[in-house]
Amino acid sequence: MAVSHDVGQLEDLVTTAHRIRQAIESVIEGKTDVVRLTMTVLLAEGHLLIEDVPGVGKTMLAKALARSIDCPVRRVQFTPDLLPSDITGVSAYNQQTREFEFKPGPVFANIVVGDEINRASPKTQSALLECMEEHQVTVDGTTYALDTPFMVIATQNPIEMEGTYPLPEAQRDRFTARIAMGYPKPAAELEMLDVHGAASPLDKLEPVATTAEIKALIDAVRAVYVSQPIKRYAVDLVTATRQTPDLRLGASPRSTLQLVRAARAHAAMEGRDYVIPDDLQELAVPVLAHRLLPSIEAQGQRRHPEQVVADLLRRVPVPDARPEAGRGGAGSGR
Amino acid sequence: MRLPIASGVATAAVASTLYPLFQGLTWWWTGLGALLVITLIGVLASRYTVPGWLVPPVQIAGLWIYLTAVFASGEAWAGLFPTRESVLVLATSVADGFADIQRFAAPVPAAPGIMLLTAGGIGLIGVLVDLLAVRTRRAALAGLPLLTLFIVPAEIVTEPIAWPAFILGAAGYSWLLVADGHERIGHWGRAVLVRRRTAAGVPGTTPLRLSGKRVGVTAIALAILLPALVPTLAPNPLFGFGVGGTGIGGGNTISIPNPIVGLQGQLQLPQNATVLTYTSSDNVPRYLRLWSLDLFTGEQWTMTAPTGMAENRVDNGALPAPPGATAPIQTRAADLEISISDSVNNMQFLPLPYPPRNVEAEGDWRADQDSLMVFSTRDQAGGLNYRVRLEEPMPTRSALERAGPPSAEIADRYLRLPRDLPQEIRDLADGVTAGQRTPYDKAVRLQEWFTTDGDFAYSLQTAGNGNSALVDFLIYSKTGYCEQFAASMAVMARILGIPARVAVGYTSGTNTGGNVWQVGTHDMHAWPELYFEGIGWLAFEPTPSGSLGQGTARQPDYTRPAPETSDTGTQDDTPSATSSPEAGGAAGESAAPRNPRQLDREGTLVPSVTAEEEGTSLGVWFAAGLAVLVVLLIPAAARRIMRHRRLQAAGRPAPRAARGTAVAMAGSVADRDGPVTPAGMVSAVVAELDDALYDYGMERQPSETSRALARRLSTQHGFDPEATAAISRLAVVTERVLFARTPGETGPLAQDLRVLRRALAATVSRGRRIRVALMPPSTLRRIRGLGGRILDGFDRLENLRVRRPERRA
Repeated sequence: MAVSHDVGQLEDLVTTAHRIRQAIESVIEGKTDVVRLTMTVLLAEGHLLIEDVPGVGKTMLAKALARSIDCPVRRVQFTPDLLPSDITGVSAYNQQTREFEFKPGPVFANIVVGDEINRASPKTQSALLECMEEHQVTVDGTTYALDTPFMVIATQNPIEMEGTYPLPEAQRDRFTARIAMGYPKPAAELEMLDVHGAASPLDKLEPVATTAEIKALIDAVRAVYVSQPIKRYAVDLVTATRQTPDLRLGASPRSTLQLVRAARAHAAMEGRDYVIPDDLQELAVPVLAHRLLPSIEAQGQRRHPEQVVADLLRRVPVPDARPEAGRGGAGSGR
Repeated sequence: MRLPIASGVATAAVASTLYPLFQGLTWWWTGLGALLVITLIGVLASRYTVPGWLVPPVQIAGLWIYLTAVFASGEAWAGLFPTRESVLVLATSVADGFADIQRFAAPVPAAPGIMLLTAGGIGLIGVLVDLLAVRTRRAALAGLPLLTLFIVPAEIVTEPIAWPAFILGAAGYSWLLVADGHERIGHWGRAVLVRRRTAAGVPGTTPLRLSGKRVGVTAIALAILLPALVPTLAPNPLFGFGVGGTGIGGGNTISIPNPIVGLQGQLQLPQNATVLTYTSSDNVPRYLRLWSLDLFTGEQWTMTAPTGMAENRVDNGALPAPPGATAPIQTRAADLEISISDSVNNMQFLPLPYPPRNVEAEGDWRADQDSLMVFSTRDQAGGLNYRVRLEEPMPTRSALERAGPPSAEIADRYLRLPRDLPQEIRDLADGVTAGQRTPYDKAVRLQEWFTTDGDFAYSLQTAGNGNSALVDFLIYSKTGYCEQFAASMAVMARILGIPARVAVGYTSGTNTGGNVWQVGTHDMHAWPELYFEGIGWLAFEPTPSGSLGQGTARQPDYTRPAPETSDTGTQDDTPSATSSPEAGGAAGESAAPRNPRQLDREGTLVPSVTAEEEGTSLGVWFAAGLAVLVVLLIPAAARRIMRHRRLQAAGRPAPRAARGTAVAMAGSVADRDGPVTPAGMVSAVVAELDDALYDYGMERQPSETSRALARRLSTQHGFDPEATAAISRLAVVTERVLFARTPGETGPLAQDLRVLRRALAATVSRGRRIRVALMPPSTLRRIRGLGGRILDGFDRLENLRVRRPERRA
């Protein structure tokens, strides 16, 4: 793959990504970082978990992303009585043909917005598992492939809220990143009042990218170069989560994969065709934290996995050209 | 179990420093045997928990049996157990040993008596160390007996102890301390609160032991390296206990002056080196005096600091009149042309015949009014040629006999004696000169007593047995060399009311043909000068001359007893002292083979002066200061050189073809002159950036990426756009070289580094900037790291030993 080709693709990627981000930001004011992370996950072929208190615009973000791309978008409102077949689809008996006929569920789309995913029962939640990881649905022994790109954007309320079933670890692990929306700043909230007062800006949102474009972008991201030191740094980071006494459950090898993939997307959105440690540092908390279980001690000290990961980031040395001896002297702090 | 062994090993290690005292190794094996016996008893006593008070007697008994078995097995019962006869044999051996010690100078031969004393001594020290370290658990106190052992060679032998021996001794003691600490901590028991993850609950003595060893190793290394590095001590060999100091061997301290600092160079001259040559207008040999020692402290002769007033500069014409020469006495004038060898260092007193009247020498040479010593605080005599005119008094016997009592001033200064001078000496002086009326007669009688009928022997192997050395020399041993003779005669003259002082300088040397006289280091000499009112100071010569005495010593005519002028030189043990000193025979005498040790002793004969040192050593101090400065500037220089090399590397990117190795982490800066690979360049940049940040106290965190660093620095310190651009460029190039598939175009970075350095320097205080320039913290960090690695190396060395499988309780 020639360098010039990469560069051309990257330029496309940067402009397209910028367009989409602008479109989303016309709906969600003052949340640049969140929007960027959303785009990163999309380009990294991952799934996004948005967790926050009700009413801060989780669904709005999901819908805005879905609408700014010209592709099939389905939305599932998770409720306690939602059944797995409500997601994957059912085989129904067609009396005319006298055959069972598969009625595709809402997962058969490019972007699936799962609203309040932790309100559904674990059985229903796990119906999403296969789709998310393997991009396929199996109903009644028949496997149906899902379209690419395929992205699940799930929103959930914090688990302490009433009427919620916490997401199982296995399922949390399948989400590339978890982000929190956070309350908007007063200025942004004021502007929101003006904009949203008249009409929903979502209605005015026009798609700015096509599925084909997104596919090309994803290809470009896959071509981003990850050097050996960076891979080692990613492994160092993940290993550190498994070794620290603050965590009961460290990050999985899958998370290493997803971290590097997200870092590729992050680099590409900055127009770089190689990953630098900064990419990993920026993504480590959203990508790793939701998979980790704090140990009893850490819970006692009210240390959240986010904090633990941030501490680890401060501790794990970045790869650079410094000779080992010098780093040892500086790092050990003797 | 470990402690008794440690104390035995420590004693053995310290005992090994006794090596300069003995010939051969017999003493070592016998001593080691004694130590083995004692250590074995100690180990067994610890193993079977024998009460502590019982151990030393058992050990002494064991030592006794051992000594009996080794030295008196013939008389012992079953060759082992002491009998009455064996005790007698041992007692005789001990007496022999003491006698041998008196007789021989170190290194002593392996006589049985000496070996017995040595083994017994080492054994007793071993018992004492065991008692202190093991039985009473005062390992640090055990250092005292060890120190006693260590002092013995340091006190007796002039040569310093070799540093490996010192290391051995010090390491032995350190090990004893470490072993003690180990046992002590081992008794603390197990740790109660242990973290869940730590494997076992055994208290770790290892870290403590390690740090103990580290402290020990560091201290020993410092003790060895520091004296070698400090410039003022540089001329001394390492561990110069008593270097040049002549206060050696308990006995001969009395009259031996301390060394003058400026003479060290001269002491180091090769053995037969020529110090000076001179021609004399009348071809009469003369003693050449350097110093005049006028103070007798009871321990030694030293001198009051000479005063050189400006009007007494030698260029100002005649020197001050010789003190006391007031009577009309016939004098003999002569001119000497003296040239000092180029290789003489630090000679700041001119060797001159007495009394000099006129000195023509280049430089600022001044005469001391009272002693007529000519010295300079600025100039050196090395390589100097000068002329001296002297007017030698030729006193007649009658004039000397008529000499009146000395003036009060002279008497006050030159008759002073310490109050605690032993009465025996006073009695002796009176006894020897009984029947002599005038001071002159007494003086002549004294010299005659020393050289002829006093039964004195000239020997450099002198030894005292702890009494006053003066008493020892005069009454008991009667063996010594010029120092003892000159000093004793001066003391006795003072007792008899004759003002006296000790002159130190050179004898007249040997005639090398024509009227050229050559004086070497062998001719260094001391002699007394006695004062006679009206005539002045006259030299006497109590030291035996000739091949069995001081080779080129000669007695002035006026010092010979009246009737038999010609055979004064003949003595019991000095068969043919030269009676015609001018003859060529003198050359043969001084060329006679001489023991190097004797020469060494001879070389130590140098007077001390206290105030004068300031002047003479100004140059030394200056050089020392300069050297210290140089040493202090080494880190700064190292830092500068390193920065220069890195900037060179950063300013020389490789041509495109040489690239492609960017993936290689931390590639080294390739060869120094060729183009540098991007990886090498970046590694230089990162290293330099790292050091610069550390220098200015903004250390980079190990988890900080270059981008984050650039961001932090430019926002935190408010860099100007130029510096911000520079550091951003550095960051981008660094990450591109390290992480990108192809590094792309990397321009030279040296300028960016310089800009950044200036920007960093602007953010800190002036004091910090000066500190960075003079004592860069980054270099110090590197030095610390090096020290740490060396210590780590020691630890690893130690860990190489075969480990016992650990027992688990």
